[in-house]
Amino acid sequence: MLELKNISKTYGKGEVKAVDNISLEVKPGEIFGFLGPNGAGKTTTIKMIVGLLKPDSGKIFLDNIDVWENPLEAKSKISFVPDTPQVYDKLKGIEYLNFIADIYDIPKDIRQERIEKYLDIFQLKDAIGDIIGSYSHGMRQKLVLISALINDPKLFILDEPMVGLDPRSSFQLKEIMREKCNEGKIVFFSTHVLEVAEKLCDRIAIINKGKIIAAGTMDELRQHSKEKESLENIFLELTENE
Amino acid sequence: MSRILALVKVDIRNTFSLSTIKNKLKNRESIVHIVIVLIALISLLPTYYFLVSGLSNIFTVYLNVGQKSMFLLTGILLGQMIVLFFGILYVMSKYYFSSDLNILVPLPLRPKEIVGAKFVSLLIYEYLTLLPILLPFIIIYGIKSDVNILYWLYSTIIILFVPVIPLCISSIIVMFFMRYTNIRGKRDLLRTIGYIVLIIALITIQLKLQSIAERAVADEDFLYKLITDSTFLARRLGIVFPPSMWAALSLSDLSSMSGFLYLLLFVIVSILMFFIMLFLSDRVFFKGLIGNLEVSTSRRAARVRERDFQRSSPPYIALAMKEIKMLVRTPVYLMNSIGGVIIVPIVMILPFFMEDEESVNMLRSVLRDSQQIINLIGVAFITFLGIVNSVCSTTFSREGKNMWIQRTLPIKVKDQIVGRVLASIFVQVIGIIILYGSLAYLGALTLEGIFIIGVLGILGSIPTGEIGMIVDAYRPMLHWDNPQRAMKQNLNVLINMGLGSLYILGIGLLAYKLLDILDIFVIYIIIALIFILSSLVLYKVLKKVIETTFINLE
Repeated sequence: MLELKNISKTYGKGEVKAVDNISLEVKPGEIFGFLGPNGAGKTTTIKMIVGLLKPDSGKIFLDNIDVWENPLEAKSKISFVPDTPQVYDKLKGIEYLNFIADIYDIPKDIRQERIEKYLDIFQLKDAIGDIIGSYSHGMRQKLVLISALINDPKLFILDEPMVGLDPRSSFQLKEIMREKCNEGKIVFFSTHVLEVAEKLCDRIAIINKGKIIAAGTMDELRQHSKEKESLENIFLELTENE
Repeated sequence: MSRILALVKVDIRNTFSLSTIKNKLKNRESIVHIVIVLIALISLLPTYYFLVSGLSNIFTVYLNVGQKSMFLLTGILLGQMIVLFFGILYVMSKYYFSSDLNILVPLPLRPKEIVGAKFVSLLIYEYLTLLPILLPFIIIYGIKSDVNILYWLYSTIIILFVPVIPLCISSIIVMFFMRYTNIRGKRDLLRTIGYIVLIIALITIQLKLQSIAERAVADEDFLYKLITDSTFLARRLGIVFPPSMWAALSLSDLSSMSGFLYLLLFVIVSILMFFIMLFLSDRVFFKGLIGNLEVSTSRRAARVRERDFQRSSPPYIALAMKEIKMLVRTPVYLMNSIGGVIIVPIVMILPFFMEDEESVNMLRSVLRDSQQIINLIGVAFITFLGIVNSVCSTTFSREGKNMWIQRTLPIKVKDQIVGRVLASIFVQVIGIIILYGSLAYLGALTLEGIFIIGVLGILGSIPTGEIGMIVDAYRPMLHWDNPQRAMKQNLNVLINMGLGSLYILGIGLLAYKLLDILDIFVIYIIIALIFILSSLVLYKVLKKVIETTFINLE
């Protein structure tokens, strides 16, 4: 289980509260969507979970492991896909994947099986021997996705994963997210694409100005708002009122 | 011109992160950081003071032979040569490998506007490098010669113009170099080899000119001219690089019309060179650049074999391999690190190539008798190369925007340290091989030398590398737009040089003191023990620093 307990983060000299006392729980087998307007605190929250930003206060646990107290143990269970797929552009695709597999200490046969499987799914096999610098944005995104899947993570965390992906890969990614969740893993992702969240997520949280203003299943969210039809309407209503 | 100025403004804001300085000064942690960096920089002062007081003595020597203008020539020549040689990599990185090119090239700008702006911001950076070198010469001369206000006025103008001509020459050389090495396929390799050949050729030409000039001085009227003409030496030896001579003579002939004319000549030629450089840039800059931005994808290289999926190594080896691949495949990193360890040992023996066979033979016989000293110097040299290669002192800075990968992966700090030190040792081994070659040319390579220099050299590279990593882990420079800023334009390299030199100097002094008392083999063992012990202590410190930094980075 992923637990966020009262986490806060301020930037500057305490002037900008990016994340303000957030608490969340995500259970195994759940796809959790994290929504919010630009600058609402989505990426900041995600960065605190994956070890890129230390919270000013609060705790984050993954399966009862404090991710900031025992970072190595926690990180070996987490995979992260950032919003901009920045990777070593002088390495070849396959070299990068092998590097990641070495760090997670994935045995040879398993690594080969997983790499080949996801290369096929994302149709990246032809480019995998090329230098990453020659990849398009979408291809880099796919590479980072594959690298994040190599260790079969307990917690799969993605920041705006659909941006830059072609429709086919986007579809495949959604399938994979569903598959991971069926295996009892946790999928946590932020997005702007409300239809994706609506169709895919078991539960959703909407964050605005650093605070969670609504959380729950689609049905629960509908009960919170007057406009009960689409997530888009709920989102607009909630974020406007704030 | 106004466009160039607009570009310069943006570039300088970006290069020196001016927009974030104000915020930093408000933050207490950042202030502590700045203070610690200042203290580290102060550690450079003893060495600097030592050098400057040496300069003062040199001035007295020149004064005694009535040739004090030579003192000025030495300083200005040194400054201009440093700009010329170091400028080549700065220019290459700034003009051809910086990330803002992707924004600038599609804009409706002429090549000369882009180059002009990049030139000016590099020039400003050069002043920061030049001032600590030039000022001691200018000030010592000024104070000891009892000069008037005109001297200080002239010298200000000269300091402003000193980097212009050499930087123009570097720019022109690099633009043509990039233009004619812009060949699909083996571009990076060609450019790296070309760079090494170019630097060695430039230094050879300089040395050749110097030896010709020196020979020309020593004619029969030498003593007579030395007494009657106070600028005789500067005039003769200055032909190595005439602009330096003009600047030196304008200051030494201050009171006469010729002083003013030399100043005028210096300034006009500088400005002229700038415009020639701009004129050429309009014709060649894009030809070297376009194609440089594209990355080749050859189908043949893309084929992945079955065994590529089955490579597996322990994390520290994986990390070392990643470091080495990035070093070797990024031209600017390659030229700085491996280029450095190849060039330095070769340049050291270049002067002997200039000498005639007889004096080289004499030197060889002297060297043969002092094998132990050569071994010790070799060890110190390799250890020092470990600082010069700047692999460790920029290891985190080079991660740049990819740092998130290192921080989100479950990598043990131990693996981080071992992997990165191994990458530096890989570069060191190349330096050791080149040094063996250089020593063999001088007939000073023995089996014992190979062993001692190899083993102690590598052992010594570990603690100096760790010092570099401590500095770089403490203040990694992750936001850069051209790779040279992560390497030699990175203050961490300089701090590492200061601290590392003190470390080597300390051990060197100890070895020197022990030479008369102990057997040389005991000294070797003592040095090895010091290297090993300090590696362990530094490892503990480094581990702490990395842990803290990886948690606190934002």
